[in-house]
Amino acid sequence: MVKKYLYLAFIAVIAVVSSCGEGTEKKVDVPKEIIEDGTAEVELDSAPIDRIIESFSSPIEMAASIESMDIPYSQKILVPTASADMFETNFKKSMGLGMLSANLGYLNVYKKVNTIVEYLTVIKRIADDLDIDQYFDFQTLKRLATNSDNLDSLMMLSVSSHHRMDEHLRSTGRSDLSALMVTGVWIEGMYLAVSVDELKRSDEMRNQVGDQKNILSDLYYVLKFFESKPHFKELITDFDALKEAYEGVTITTVPGETRTVVENGVTVTYSGDETVIQMTDEQYAEIAENIKKIRNKLISL
Amino acid sequence: MKKIVIALSIALLLAIAGTQEVAAQCKQQMVYKCATDGGNAIYLRDFNTKLNKLKSGEKDPGTKWTVVLNTGTRYRFILCTPPGLENKVELTLFDSQHPEENPWLKTDETRNVQDYVCRRSGMYYVSIKWKEGFGDQKTCAVGILSFVGKNQ
Repeated sequence: MVKKYLYLAFIAVIAVVSSCGEGTEKKVDVPKEIIEDGTAEVELDSAPIDRIIESFSSPIEMAASIESMDIPYSQKILVPTASADMFETNFKKSMGLGMLSANLGYLNVYKKVNTIVEYLTVIKRIADDLDIDQYFDFQTLKRLATNSDNLDSLMMLSVSSHHRMDEHLRSTGRSDLSALMVTGVWIEGMYLAVSVDELKRSDEMRNQVGDQKNILSDLYYVLKFFESKPHFKELITDFDALKEAYEGVTITTVPGETRTVVENGVTVTYSGDETVIQMTDEQYAEIAENIKKIRNKLISL
Repeated sequence: MKKIVIALSIALLLAIAGTQEVAAQCKQQMVYKCATDGGNAIYLRDFNTKLNKLKSGEKDPGTKWTVVLNTGTRYRFILCTPPGLENKVELTLFDSQHPEENPWLKTDETRNVQDYVCRRSGMYYVSIKWKEGFGDQKTCAVGILSFVGKNQ
């Protein structure tokens, strides 16, 4: 009897002691190679890759940029929700989830409540399939979407749900799916940008597209890391063409003096740098073509 | 044998008590409240962390996150802590050009909301940690990144 208690107590002590480490916040040492040149070499350890994946922009940022340029709303540039029926593999589901999340961001920014519920429903279905639905509070989101007083809360909850789903994929060893999710967000954001430029030419939007050259390089490293996973090779080939289209674009940063001022009670730091993007119309057209090709391939198969 | 069982039980209790020193992340309610401090800015993401009690003289390495910022965008950073800790915790934004010791921005007691106008797209880092000389308790802190506008 005593032996049994002894054994149980021993197991309990070991279990508690070993769980202590898991309970503490992961202190992240920023990979040296990222700090030095803004990109990372492909390594076998997925932790540095996870750091890059987590850095990618929010599903709402491109939509917010578009809206802040006073560009009118257009539903026809969004992924049709019926396309989700074609997302049969986890590869397509993850990328599709990213794309639909970017669309949800767009709808949120333009306050299109009637369409939001339709997109929430599809996202919930994909999240179920990927077993990350516990981070997508569909009922609350739906309730917020049906009350126009709660649109800010809706926007925040939908963005934070997206990040929590993405984080959960990485924390459960599915970084490849997380990488696809951020790729989906990025490519759909770029698609929205080139589509609004098609509706009405915007040099500001074109600059924003050209400026993504270095971000694309980081994303490309992430995709290359997972090259051996199913379907990645084909996506990388498509990204090779996109990278090639960016080849001639030059981004120059002219250093300047940073200044800090107080505006309306808020301290504002203006970086003194100035970024100059050189891109011809032909180069832009080739980039836009490749973006559309990658995006439409996923929803037309 | 009984003594061993008692000793192990005490060790178990001590181990459990030890875990009480480990802090937890801030609750979602606090994250949402902090995000609303940004006014009309659009919430992009949050940096939620636990801050552990430090030993005497120990320096907090902090928690760091990578974040891509885009040229021409005005971003808002907000740091929220439980009441009374406003001047003990700091959020910094840095990159290779402006390392953590000389960051782009650092919050302080009177400036927990700060804007950064980005002029170079790329990877940046956000860090939240105890300020030097503080850290006598476990707590949590949350940083919010939001979008203010383009070309401002």
